[in-house]
Amino acid sequence: METYFLKHQDVFVFYSRIEEEFELYAPIKVEAKPRLLCEHGFSLPTEEYLLRPFSCIQEKSDIVYNEYRCVEPTRTLFVYPKENISGDTPDPRRQGPSKPLAISGLKNCDIFSLKIQDFVFLGGDEVDPFYQARREDALIISGDCPAFKEVCFCRAFAIDPYSQEGFDFNLSPLNDGYLLDVATEKAQRIADSLKNILSLATRGQLAGRAQKREAVVKKLDAHLALHKIPTKGSLKDIVVSGYNSAVWQEQMLTCVECGGCVFICDTCHCFLLADTLSKEGPQRMRIWDGCLYKNFTRVAGGANPLKMRYMRLRNRYLKKFDFFIDNTGTQACCGCGRCIEVCPGKIDIRYILKRLYEEKHLSAH
Amino acid sequence: MKKNIYQPIEAVIEDVRHETATIKTFVLRPKFLFSFRTGQFIELNIPGVGEAPFTPSSDPAVKDRLGVTIMNVGSMTSRLHAMHSGEKVALRGPYGKGYPLEKFKDKDILIVGGGVGLAPLRSLLFSLFGEVDNYNKIVLRYGARTSGDIIYKDLLPEWAKKKKVDVMTTVDVGDPQWKGNVGLVTTILKDLPIELHKAIAVVCGPPIMMKFVNLKLLDLGFKPEDIYLSMEKNMSCGLGKCGHCRLGSYYICKDGPVFTYEQLKDMHDIWD
Ligand SMILES: Cc1cc2nc3c(=O)[nH]c(=O)nc-3n(C[C@H](O)[C@H](O)[C@H](O)COP(=O)(O)OP(=O)(O)OC[C@H]3O[C@@H](n4cnc5c(N)ncnc54)[C@H](O)[C@@H]3O)c2cc1C
Ligand code: SF4
Ligand code: SF4
Ligand code: FES
Repeated sequence: METYFLKHQDVFVFYSRIEEEFELYAPIKVEAKPRLLCEHGFSLPTEEYLLRPFSCIQEKSDIVYNEYRCVEPTRTLFVYPKENISGDTPDPRRQGPSKPLAISGLKNCDIFSLKIQDFVFLGGDEVDPFYQARREDALIISGDCPAFKEVCFCRAFAIDPYSQEGFDFNLSPLNDGYLLDVATEKAQRIADSLKNILSLATRGQLAGRAQKREAVVKKLDAHLALHKIPTKGSLKDIVVSGYNSAVWQEQMLTCVECGGCVFICDTCHCFLLADTLSKEGPQRMRIWDGCLYKNFTRVAGGANPLKMRYMRLRNRYLKKFDFFIDNTGTQACCGCGRCIEVCPGKIDIRYILKRLYEEKHLSAH
Repeated sequence: MKKNIYQPIEAVIEDVRHETATIKTFVLRPKFLFSFRTGQFIELNIPGVGEAPFTPSSDPAVKDRLGVTIMNVGSMTSRLHAMHSGEKVALRGPYGKGYPLEKFKDKDILIVGGGVGLAPLRSLLFSLFGEVDNYNKIVLRYGARTSGDIIYKDLLPEWAKKKKVDVMTTVDVGDPQWKGNVGLVTTILKDLPIELHKAIAVVCGPPIMMKFVNLKLLDLGFKPEDIYLSMEKNMSCGLGKCGHCRLGSYYICKDGPVFTYEQLKDMHDIWD
């Protein structure tokens, strides 16, 4: 993998080159509320970043380097919330951009989530042709996190706040520009055409990046220490043995079944196939669905294995930490904290996992 | 171009047979030859209306037509029940794993059905009859709510006459015309003409029936790995992608719908 240095003032040239071949999505900033003082005493940023099509961003100077993940889950760009999937031969470009997708502003939690989505939509005996077409052509541009939000907990699950694989390009902010990792042939071809703005990274620059990465990890770990989030290795065990824990009943009390947690989640993937009649005739639609909804598992005659809210809350954890660990070896949660921010009932995955851990390992003493 | 895994193929309803007041068997002729293994299921689609999973009840050896026996229970099935020969539906599949017939070789096969749960079992019976020399004995025990709820009324006596086959039917609630056993299906799981050490059991029916039949079979000495259960859950894709049918670490659509009790016995609330 080659690493180059890209000056800050040349980022626009880099993006414009990509936009020639791709439909580029880039992050813009939504202005900050006051900074947040975390329990550890860190003053943490609160501004939000959104992904927008490069072509629709009027003032290109609005494009920023996002310091942490954007609001939207990446999967929105690969599996649309509502999509017409009719037809004997799939037409992945009927909806959405006609060019292949390029996404800048992805973080390592997003890269992790993409692997979960790949498992679902590309794995097994049958490949989802809509996902596959978009995913295979896509140019993934990830970036290190020089900061984190209060809700970020990637490191609890041994996911670093910077990527070392799973991308085409990776940006690491450094001094007056970025280190640009070029990981794939697709990316190298673009980099080769930008020789005039790229210089090979020096050893000093690489060392500088390593230092910055280490500093963020240290700060994030200190922040997470207070939350006492169980580590990756204990997740399956605590969720399975916490089946009858009181935490489900207690936490579901404030759930209003809005579905926010599942729709904002980048590792959730459930959907429903729905048939409708339009002017053009019968249509098959694929619509995002979520297991916090009452009808998710209802069967004919009204029977429902997840009839109570606490069962549905628990089901979400069993899916993420039992089913996925059994089937893929890894949990379906990247620690992005999106579900924590979105929940009007203030239901916090960090707290639930901590409680399950304590009930399993500390209660007897 | 890639195949659209969500798009069903067209099929014409060739015949509709009334089984009971609420159950009909639809004979479908798909646009292309359609192969399935017994126990696998299809997603049957009424274009523009909806889709639901059903297990073909016909002989898998027949490739140009397939039968599905369907109970009218809700929105899609009631629309289907209002359809007639000549009308068009669509289907995709087959999905799931079906019955592992290779494991049934030389065995005494006990088949326990409840209500419309006899539908997939009929397809299994056709498969077994087709290679009857491979099996030692086929014992069918079938329960329906009343005599009016019994499906395949003409076939049951025919099957009973076949060599190596033993059939018994029961109804939960008797009536003056009914001469057979009255009681839940578990009441005819006594004095079975099988040798336990070489027997396996296949069960399909409503969850509550499967729960009690399973208990009874364990009681009789069947090993959990020799009891095959048809699990049912809400499904949408049939492909292991939509997430609806998770059961423990399995998807019923992909890893089932037939599971041994051994695979399920440590899970919570499997009959809910
Ligand atoms: C593997 C499998 C095989 C089956 N085989 C047969 C069969 O051979 N014969 C038969 O009569 N029935 C069978 N069923 C049950 C049949 O699928 C349901 O009766 C049918 O889905 C009910 O649809 P509905 O729209 O009429 O009911 P409604 O209650 O109106 O359903 C409304 C919605 O709920 C959902 N839903 C409700 N029940 C189910 C269900 N059981 N599975 C999936 N989604 C559901 C669907 O999304 C449906 O659109 C089978 C089910 C499964 C899972
Ligand atoms: S976001 Fe919160 S309130 Fe909404 S469904 Fe999820 S847990 Fe319930
Ligand atoms: S469960 Fe919550 S923290 Fe985990 S990936 Fe989903 S939104 Fe992010
Ligand atoms: S029906 Fe979609 S995963 Fe099983």
